[in-house]
Amino acid sequence: MFDPNETVISVDDLVRVYRSSTGLIRKKRKETVAVDHISFEVKRGELFGLLGPNGAGKTTVIKVLTTLLLPTSGKVEVLGYDVLRQSQEVRKRIGLILGGERGLYYRVTGRQNLRYFADLYGVPILEREKRINEVLKAVDLSDRADERVEDYSRGMKQRLHIAKGIIHDPELIFMDEPTIGLDPQAARDTRKMVKELQQAGKTILLTTHYMYEADELCNRLGVIARGKILALDTPSGLKDLIRDTSVIEVEAFGLTDTELDAVRSIPGVKAVSATMSEDKQVLRVQVSDVAEMLTKVASKLQGSNVIGVKVKEPTLEDAYLWLVEGHG
Amino acid sequence: MARLRAIWTAFRHQALHFFADPQWLIPNIIAPFVMTLVALMLFRSTSGNVVLYAILGGGMMGMWGNTLYASGFSIQSERWWGTMESILAVPTPLIWIIAGRAIWNSIIGILNGLFILVIAVTVFQTPLNLYDLPLFLMAFILTLISLACLGLVFSSAFVLTRSASVLTNGLEFPIYVGTGTMFPIALLPFWTHPLAFTLGPTWGIDAIRYAALSDYSWGLAPGYWGDLAIMGLLSVCYLVIAVWLFKQVDYRARRDANLGRY
Repeated sequence: MFDPNETVISVDDLVRVYRSSTGLIRKKRKETVAVDHISFEVKRGELFGLLGPNGAGKTTVIKVLTTLLLPTSGKVEVLGYDVLRQSQEVRKRIGLILGGERGLYYRVTGRQNLRYFADLYGVPILEREKRINEVLKAVDLSDRADERVEDYSRGMKQRLHIAKGIIHDPELIFMDEPTIGLDPQAARDTRKMVKELQQAGKTILLTTHYMYEADELCNRLGVIARGKILALDTPSGLKDLIRDTSVIEVEAFGLTDTELDAVRSIPGVKAVSATMSEDKQVLRVQVSDVAEMLTKVASKLQGSNVIGVKVKEPTLEDAYLWLVEGHG
Repeated sequence: MARLRAIWTAFRHQALHFFADPQWLIPNIIAPFVMTLVALMLFRSTSGNVVLYAILGGGMMGMWGNTLYASGFSIQSERWWGTMESILAVPTPLIWIIAGRAIWNSIIGILNGLFILVIAVTVFQTPLNLYDLPLFLMAFILTLISLACLGLVFSSAFVLTRSASVLTNGLEFPIYVGTGTMFPIALLPFWTHPLAFTLGPTWGIDAIRYAALSDYSWGLAPGYWGDLAIMGLLSVCYLVIAVWLFKQVDYRARRDANLGRY
């Protein structure tokens, strides 16, 4: 019975510390707090996103939830099972989809990869081939299933990652940066598959640092940075956090770090981001009072090769930036 | 049933990789050929039984080298491919997956050992007059099982390290010498004996020689059946150690977060 109020993931005060040491004789020990006292819940049928920059702790959270890592402290339950003590029960019921080039057996075919994992997940033998054909069709790999994975494109490998993660029809699916490194078309196909999985009743937790992806896919988002959850809300709820903010978008060539720091130092500037778009730089400056700040920003960029200036409504990316820059 | 299925699927998967990767030619065809050649060169001027003694040792080296190489290399490959985390995330305990692979590697070890005998007989025209064929075959197969058990212990240790290939290379020759594959253990310093006696292949090769050579006078004191009994006992110990080690591996891998590294 599908109960949308049922909690399928419960994370309570989770801490994960990595310990490492360097040196042979006089060892220097180092501790890194990857996840720092975070708590959240995910309900059945939700598509929950963990959004954060590289090194924020997203993958660590996924690894703890999928039993690949032990929590240092805190209580984590997945589908009612404790990840520490009941890891086998958790593993039977979840699917794990990792992004990237690795994680597949390259020397054998896509079908052989799926057969191997179907057996390891205990898919009934009589249903195995039918199930493999179903998932191959779902990820549009039926025609290439009998070719070696080493001959697959990056997008095809990602589709095989998804097929591998759902081969045993899990009720809960974890995806770690499922579109990382994909071209726009392949990323769009992957997002479509993620949506179809949710429509099929699956609960999904995914990590991403792509704002567009988080906004398009997720019912709820946890913004994570430096191991802490800074905000937990729907995409529109997060945007509302900066509803009194406007964004001055400056397109320019050859902006230097000194100029960016000068803009950041203007009193009243809430956050600044700079990205490359085609051959130009796009500077997004979050401010409260556009009229007053426009001239101040322009004065700091005097002498730069500015192509254009626009005033825009804040996006999820602006809310995210505002949060990770210390306002959360 | 679930365990048998896990062992079978890992066995099948290892076989697929074996034939998909041309590297198998090196440990399974080229290396045995070189070993046989070395053995025959060393003992060509001696009488027939000494040559057979050496060839059997060469066969054992091939089997042992293959077990070690395959145990280390298959784990190292999982790290390179980034599949280590995926197989730890499945509900099937890792030990059954590795056991399936170890069995495949042992079967290849049999072929490896037989290949050496075939080379010796066909290419180098060495007479192969086995003293007691049924006992020889029994000792041969039981030694293979013992090797698979030992391979399981090594594999569990290799899961935790990124240097499996280095360890594989480092362990190969000390064990060739220590287990008496090429010359009797009695010739080695006394302090090496306790180590040699804890390794199944030491007793296995001795039992094989008892069965193969009519006048085997350098054998260990327990004799053919004693060798097999001790090897059986050691194999059970290896299995117990392997089960314990795999539990440790599962815990330490989750504690130290090093499975994704390569």
